[in-house]
Amino acid sequence: MCIAVPGQIIDISNKEATVNIMDVETIVNIQLISEPKVGEYVLVHAGCAIEKLDKVYFNDLSNIFKVFFDKGVSIDE
Amino acid sequence: MNKELIRHLIKEINIMASKEIKIMEVCGTHTQMISKLGIRSVLSPNIKLLSGPGCPVCVTEEKYIDTAIEMLNNYDVTIATFGDLLRVKGTKNCLLDKKSRGKNVIIVHSPLDLINIAKDDKKRKIIFLGVGFETTAPIIALTIRTAFEKEINNLFFLTSIKLMSPILHYILKQPENQIQGLICPGHVASIKGASYFEFIAEDYNIPAAVCGFEALDILGGIHYLVKQIIDNENKSFKNLYKRCVRTQGNPIANHLIEEVFQISHGVWRGIGKVENSFLTIKKKYRNFDADNNFEVKIESQRHISKCACSDILLGNKTPRECELFDRVCNPFSPYGPCMVSTEGACAIAYKYWEEMYNG
Ligand code: SF4
Repeated sequence: MCIAVPGQIIDISNKEATVNIMDVETIVNIQLISEPKVGEYVLVHAGCAIEKLDKVYFNDLSNIFKVFFDKGVSIDE
Repeated sequence: MNKELIRHLIKEINIMASKEIKIMEVCGTHTQMISKLGIRSVLSPNIKLLSGPGCPVCVTEEKYIDTAIEMLNNYDVTIATFGDLLRVKGTKNCLLDKKSRGKNVIIVHSPLDLINIAKDDKKRKIIFLGVGFETTAPIIALTIRTAFEKEINNLFFLTSIKLMSPILHYILKQPENQIQGLICPGHVASIKGASYFEFIAEDYNIPAAVCGFEALDILGGIHYLVKQIIDNENKSFKNLYKRCVRTQGNPIANHLIEEVFQISHGVWRGIGKVENSFLTIKKKYRNFDADNNFEVKIESQRHISKCACSDILLGNKTPRECELFDRVCNPFSPYGPCMVSTEGACAIAYKYWEEMYNG
């Protein structure tokens, strides 16, 4: 339940944003981050954006979640 | 994945690990990634990676679950909770038992969803089970403040919100503690700031690092810690995850935590009372505190159990060292809390069925 997932803001309406999280559009509260903008990347936990992310980190985190769903991944080639 | 660099890090770590080194990680996502990537299997058996008390469900006291169940039994209320908490047992039952017997238990993915649910049905009294660490605390605080501003009077909060730094102090002060290095939880650090964990090196002379979740991040973190442990010099703290974690954290979230909550003592499952380790609702918002609105009497019972969760959470044992692991306890029929949550050390060890080093 502590899991936080990366997403990209695609629309903002007042205190909420539509965020694309792994290709699913989700409504997310954006009151915990300052000056959110469309196009920015955020870390989402329990329905709330808790931090902004830069693109590099967004990509890293997105890969991690792909790893979670990919059964075969291991660093032991 | 930078395979060259990864190979190089593994090789260096294994050369350095000429004696046993115990490193604790305190974040469910780290625990999952370490198992998922098979990191233990490529490192020397001398490197012992232990999971600490970072799974909020695993450290939720029996009395808290009993209290929620008593509120359901005695009052006409709906209990709203994160799904993970449903199967955690109190002294006898879990909330799922109650739900399957027709009691009103709903699962939400965010407490903020309850604002509209409460507004739409003013006759329905809803109690949200607010558990979590510093990462979840600002979201629960935001929900409480929003309920206050919108003058909602049918939404209540039974909280068990815990703080990471007091429990780490507690673990590191244990005389039997053998932790030599700490991988700090990245998401707590995003809220509190990297500086929140500087005390580990300063107060205990134990190296600590905030690191990311990729193979390279985790191995880089382990390399940093192992190098300091064997060099025997003054141990330091490093934020290896600057691209996400700022030194001072998220000021809006921290302000909100301070506005709604105060620091109190609290009991951790399998561990006991830890001073100043809980966040409880401040007087200004006490109308939203379920404890103030729904009186129930629950005796704290000493729960005698063969479950080794407490030793696992303190870094003294690994899941496989529990005599019930896979014999009596598995994710389909969890005996202890570490097997319930997907972030629990036992559930992760079971899922990935890894050889837990020489455990
Ligand atoms: S295997 Fe089950 S009983 Fe043993 S420590 Fe883990 S959760 Fe507790």
